[in-house]
Amino acid sequence: MKFGAMFVDVLRSVFTRPATRLYPKVRTKAPARLHGKLYWDPKLCTGCTLCVKDCPADAIELITIDRATKHFVMRYHADRCTYCAQCVVSCRFKCLGMSNEGWELAALKKEAFTVEYGSEADLAKLFAVEHPGEGIPPAGEKPASALE
Amino acid sequence: MTTESLLQQAESLLATMSRGSTRPETNRLDVVIESSGLVPAVSALKNARWGYLTALTGLDLGVEAGVVEALYHFCSDAAVTTLRVRLPRIGGSVPSIYQLIPAVGFYERELAEMYGVTVTGMPDDSRLFLPDDWPVGVYPLLKDFDPQSAQPVKVPPPPRGSSTGERFIIPIGPQHPALKEPGHFEFTVDGEIVTAARMRLGYVHRGIEKAVEQRNWIQSLYLLERVCGICSHTHSVAYCLGVEQLAQVEVPPRAQAIRELIAGLERIHSHLLWLGVAAHEAGFDTLFMYSWRDRETVMDLLETVSGNRVNYSANILGGVKIDITAEFAEAIRRGIDYLEERSRHYLDIVTTDTMFLQRTRGIGAMTREQAEHFGVLGPLARASGILRDVRVEAPYGAYTRFPISAVTAQAGDLEARFVVRLKELFVTCNAIRTILDNLPPGELAVKVPRRIPAGETISRVEAPRGELFYFIRSTGGDKPDRVKVRTPSLCNWTSVLHQAIGCQLADVPLLLAGMDPCFSCNDR
Repeated sequence: MKFGAMFVDVLRSVFTRPATRLYPKVRTKAPARLHGKLYWDPKLCTGCTLCVKDCPADAIELITIDRATKHFVMRYHADRCTYCAQCVVSCRFKCLGMSNEGWELAALKKEAFTVEYGSEADLAKLFAVEHPGEGIPPAGEKPASALE
Repeated sequence: MTTESLLQQAESLLATMSRGSTRPETNRLDVVIESSGLVPAVSALKNARWGYLTALTGLDLGVEAGVVEALYHFCSDAAVTTLRVRLPRIGGSVPSIYQLIPAVGFYERELAEMYGVTVTGMPDDSRLFLPDDWPVGVYPLLKDFDPQSAQPVKVPPPPRGSSTGERFIIPIGPQHPALKEPGHFEFTVDGEIVTAARMRLGYVHRGIEKAVEQRNWIQSLYLLERVCGICSHTHSVAYCLGVEQLAQVEVPPRAQAIRELIAGLERIHSHLLWLGVAAHEAGFDTLFMYSWRDRETVMDLLETVSGNRVNYSANILGGVKIDITAEFAEAIRRGIDYLEERSRHYLDIVTTDTMFLQRTRGIGAMTREQAEHFGVLGPLARASGILRDVRVEAPYGAYTRFPISAVTAQAGDLEARFVVRLKELFVTCNAIRTILDNLPPGELAVKVPRRIPAGETISRVEAPRGELFYFIRSTGGDKPDRVKVRTPSLCNWTSVLHQAIGCQLADVPLLLAGMDPCFSCNDR
């Protein structure tokens, strides 16, 4: 039985640096394995949509531009994503991967979390379909992605 | 006794009540009984001290079959005996077994409100999970439940004035400055002494059991992982084990070892978190802050290894996603060496600090008999001298290869609960070291079919708070037909509410914290 069993700990802390990190002044590096932003390689994709079927959060849309020549656009909703990486496991053609980017997810608008992947030509085709008569999007119209 | 002889014993005990029995799996016995035979059947098992009631599952077999089943699962070591009471879908009724097993109170209330089964003789038949404004006669877990029918109804305000007579009731929660979690308690007091206690849950009920019936087997894994933010890995292990049993696939040894390793890290994280919360409830905020500072070590380890900080998503059906390389193994070793040293220091503090011991020693003591009567699980049971630990009683996954020794204490008071949990940290650290030294080589996962063969299975795993129970039913499709989740917190409430009676009101917060309640687990 003793009084003040943690007194020594407290006294020692007077002479040590605080455990609190000085965020946002000092930014911690994301761990190498962090499940962050999802990446998609359009060249390898066959359009099997297993990633879409298995996604627990409905975060992936695979939009077909031309099925015969295997041209797709992936629309990824980082705000819905739970970062479980099941899509990466489900993909049989290794066209998905998670990077350790997107460590600090914050933005004022939801649109900033929607990312589109695909070749430039496919993205332009998709834009033409979704925004008929608007031409090519001027640079900087879309809000800056929160993931960069 | 072996599992086989335990099941034979149960079969002979239930022979007179049985209307047919089957052996769906090697460790399970299903006995069909009439609802009139329920009380004698439960008495027979209880009088022979055959295991304990672990869960009560409601099961709707569909509109065509017209049957709702109430399944009373009893466990003794690895053996599971299920009493199946078949009831009509509308107007079914079972007698309450609360007088025999008090822990069933919450389960029966859940069965009644989710399936519309009338449980006769319940001491408290008020709502437990469903909102107060939920319409009468709408039962959400029935297969033909229509969400449109669940329109909120007007609730009359609670009676004011002296309708409660001479009693003085202190309500706590669901919003309360001293209780951070969404539960509602009513403590009836006589001066400073508690004379009655009751509680209400469901303020953050998410209907996960219903939601998984809408998702495929893989999507359900991630939803079930989110039942709890602390023991998330344990939930996904329990689900994976069940689905793998149904699909009859063998998980590679390396994957099993990694699952146990992550579960070990998670246990360290959970117990350190609890240590801080319990110390805070006792007014010992220094211990709270230091233990949570150290907990960051294990949180960082989990994040480094799995890539996620809270819902690690380490599991997939058939194995794990992540490998433990030599570099990670070294980081884990360093981390747990530090944590073990700190835990020894904390054990020293909680067993010697005079002020703290005044809040814990001899408070809320639960004898072995009481603990068995209330059917408590996990560290709470082990602090009262009952060896109740699924990892020891019915080893699953890698626990056969890397066994664990259970930590028990005899006193059953709050101090014993601190000692048991802290000593478990040492056992866990040693187990992690053993796994890292002997990590089996090989594959990380095997393929699991997208459609799981029809069948029913039970998987039990030891979460940091006690036994976690999953009942999984497949009809052969790509979605589960029923997933029942019974979390350890729900079992342990009964004992704590009974124990609070006769205690000082000031001891109640620490008494509640002493069981490590998880509201998220309750309101799954």
